[in-house]
Amino acid sequence: MPITHMPKTDMPPGALTLLILRVLQSGSLHGYAIAQRIHVLSSEVLAVEEGSLYPALQKMLLKGWVTAEWGISGTNRKVRFYRLTAAGRKQLQSEVANYDRVTEAIQTILRTA
Amino acid sequence: MGEFFRRLRYLLQRNRFDRELENEMEFHREMAAREGRKNFGNDLRLREQSREAWGWVWIDRLLQDLRYAARILWRSPGFTLTAIFVLALGIGVSVTAFSLLNILVLKMLPVRDPASIVRLQRRSPEITTADTPYLSFLFYKNHTKTLSAMFAVMGSPSMELNDDLQPVSVNYVTSNYFTELGTQVAAGRLFLSSQDESANAPPIVVLSHGLWERRFNSDPGIVGKVIRLNGKPATVIGVAAKNYASNSGQYPDLWLPITQESYFVEGSNAITDAVGGAAVRMWGRLAPGITAKVAEQELLTLTNELRKQYPKLIWDKEYIRSDPGSHLLVLEPQMIPVFSMIGALVLLIFIVACANLGGLMMARGVAREHEISIRLAIGAGRMRIFRQLFTESLLLAMLASVIGLTLSYTGLRIMNAIYGDDKSTWMTFAPDWRVMLFTVGMALFAALLFGLAPALQMARQRQRKTIARQILVSIQITASCILLIVSGLLVHAVHHTLYSDPGFGYEQVVSITPGLDSHGYKPEAARAYIEQLRTRLLGLPGVTSVALSKESLLGNGFTSYITTDIGGHPVNIYPNSVDPPFFKTMGIPLLRGRNLLPGEKQAVIVSESLARRQWPGQEALGKKFGDNKDVVVGIAGNARIKALNDGEAVEAYWAAQPEDLAAMSVLVKTAGAPEGLVPETKSIVKSLDPKLFPYIWLLKTGFRDSTQLLENTALAATILGLLATLLAAVGILGLVTYAVSQRNKEIAIRIALGAKPQHVLFAILRQFVLPVVTGAIAGTAATAFVSRFLHKILYGISNLDPAGYAGGIGVLMVIALIAALLPARRALRVDPVRALHEE
Repeated sequence: MPITHMPKTDMPPGALTLLILRVLQSGSLHGYAIAQRIHVLSSEVLAVEEGSLYPALQKMLLKGWVTAEWGISGTNRKVRFYRLTAAGRKQLQSEVANYDRVTEAIQTILRTA
Repeated sequence: MGEFFRRLRYLLQRNRFDRELENEMEFHREMAAREGRKNFGNDLRLREQSREAWGWVWIDRLLQDLRYAARILWRSPGFTLTAIFVLALGIGVSVTAFSLLNILVLKMLPVRDPASIVRLQRRSPEITTADTPYLSFLFYKNHTKTLSAMFAVMGSPSMELNDDLQPVSVNYVTSNYFTELGTQVAAGRLFLSSQDESANAPPIVVLSHGLWERRFNSDPGIVGKVIRLNGKPATVIGVAAKNYASNSGQYPDLWLPITQESYFVEGSNAITDAVGGAAVRMWGRLAPGITAKVAEQELLTLTNELRKQYPKLIWDKEYIRSDPGSHLLVLEPQMIPVFSMIGALVLLIFIVACANLGGLMMARGVAREHEISIRLAIGAGRMRIFRQLFTESLLLAMLASVIGLTLSYTGLRIMNAIYGDDKSTWMTFAPDWRVMLFTVGMALFAALLFGLAPALQMARQRQRKTIARQILVSIQITASCILLIVSGLLVHAVHHTLYSDPGFGYEQVVSITPGLDSHGYKPEAARAYIEQLRTRLLGLPGVTSVALSKESLLGNGFTSYITTDIGGHPVNIYPNSVDPPFFKTMGIPLLRGRNLLPGEKQAVIVSESLARRQWPGQEALGKKFGDNKDVVVGIAGNARIKALNDGEAVEAYWAAQPEDLAAMSVLVKTAGAPEGLVPETKSIVKSLDPKLFPYIWLLKTGFRDSTQLLENTALAATILGLLATLLAAVGILGLVTYAVSQRNKEIAIRIALGAKPQHVLFAILRQFVLPVVTGAIAGTAATAFVSRFLHKILYGISNLDPAGYAGGIGVLMVIALIAALLPARRALRVDPVRALHEE
């Protein structure tokens, strides 16, 4: 049986991609920084597992939403930085819009039902 | 599209990407460790998960499986070689058959724009012919708008070149012939519509490359020289290239312009006479954007217009049929059964090979049981195991198909060297994309047939089913049985034809076609000529009789027959017009009644077979026969001279009429060897009229030629049959070996308890008796059913011929027995102590 890592806090499917796109909007980051940023910005509620971060990043590279380039980390080590592409920006917009629409709909039900 | 290229780039730089990912994760881990977190699971597994995003994991798995399969196969060379050999034969045979089909009906000829060429033939509901009067051709050519060009070929009797003994073959062609075919030129020029259209132009000739090489030593100075054809001078204007390809399938020694035919054949009205004139074969080139259907419509309109001009020329409901014109063979509906038959026989070999290999794979399953249960135990998924096993089958099939393709190509080259002519040099047997695709398809199909079931069984660890083995044996025996009986039938048919009395004598007969009709002889002149010829021939020493026959026998010339319905069955009646000495000359006995009188009308002699079919149980003499109600005056012995290969053909003879004489062949029977008669006959014919260039041949040569096809067919069927048997033998050998190894322990116990050798053998072989017998019965029944389609080529023997069946089944049973006994003997050598200790 393969060993699976359960995330500490369940993240809705697809949300990870959205969050990665969002945190990259303000500038390029390396993988660890992406995880850190999400963790910190969510007031430590969301923890991004390495097991889902890297497959997600690979998928985004494949889709052409991000590109990777070499940079130097804060600890002075050569590491890959991910940067949002034009396609990635467009994807972020549409995912945010979509997310807003869905949350609003869910909220409406929660309020009125 | 961008995504595809990124994916591809990843595939090409996989190692670099992989290193980068590894590096990145390592960094991540370092950072996490710094912050005191440690849950970066299995590094390798995480990387694998990340890589999956790129969608190339299957390639890794496939390569892994292939490497593993290659190792496994390499480690058991005995099995691997047998398997590849068996499958290469099965695939090779089908690839060969498909290659032939490809060359014959699928590939386009290397002519100019082959796809737009259509073959045009006259049709009516009753009549099918390839021959069109030249005048009709001209009419269509001058009026058509849907065809951008039309060209035609007219056959000709061979001609004498200068004073050579060896005659040359000739085609008359339209002046645009070479331009339309796109024929290349080796020297000089070819015919051109702009220069060579006129009938009054100076006579010219184009040589074939073969004749140029053979007769003129490839002399480039031949262009412009004058040669004599049947004594008529003509200027050589050029030589066609060696790779000349023709839609007509004709490769003559030289070509003449059709418009000059009457110059070369003095007195000929072949191209001027509407009704009695010669016939051409014609092709058209569809104008851009025009479909064959539209062209057919227009040609029908033209045919109806032509009928107004020459009412006699056009049949009732005549139309012109078009077929794709650029294949070696235009597939006619009547060829489909023959092609299907060949296809089925070839497929049988393939099935035997696959069944065979399936058996071997299952047998191997026992040996690998251990390996597979270990792999399952350490966590391999059944799906993965199955995929791995199936990859092994695929690898085997692919290796076998490469060897099969090589074998097939070599075989075709050898066959071409033996049977092919040297004229179609453009023909190549190198596999094209269709053959490649077919080969790959057959390999996949084979892998499915022989690999799927064993792989499934092994992955599910369930392979001890005797029933599967028995079914495999049954299939192999059935298929081999069919192939062997069919080859047995064909072999017997060849022997029957070659060594039994065909009902007529041909060994000592020479046939002469003077060709009076093509030189414009009128009936009176023809009668005078023939009487003189007869007297002169009878004066030759050794000549015992001279006769006339309208049908040209066992040589050149066409065969015509009438199909009538007798008692609900179609019967082919072969008619002939003869003079009274015909029966004596050809050695056909008159069984009852009397001979025909010279020129007698309203009288007919029928063959005994026709009398029996038409009036079963009654006396045929005196009965009325045919449309003209002719009286049956005599019954002749059966003699299927014009249809050696049609066991159900029957004959009817009428007395030759004066108007037939110009077209008749003369048969000369001699007491001694006929060869010596040929030169004397030739000089007599020419001395009577030097214009004539008679066609003279020995009937025995014609007889050999017409049985050649059957001999080759029988040879091919025998090879296929033996191949199938060889494969079945290998298969049975493998399965019995398997049975012995599987039941090692049981045998050991039996021997230990004192079983006699024959008991042990029986215990082993018992399970094979039923499938072998079932297979033999099924095969026999299947053959009895399908061989009905063969009766046309089984010269004179029944498709249920006992000798053929007994021979086929006998050979199969002996081989099956030997193949079973050889490995079964191993059971007797089982050492009970060791076998029982192994546990």
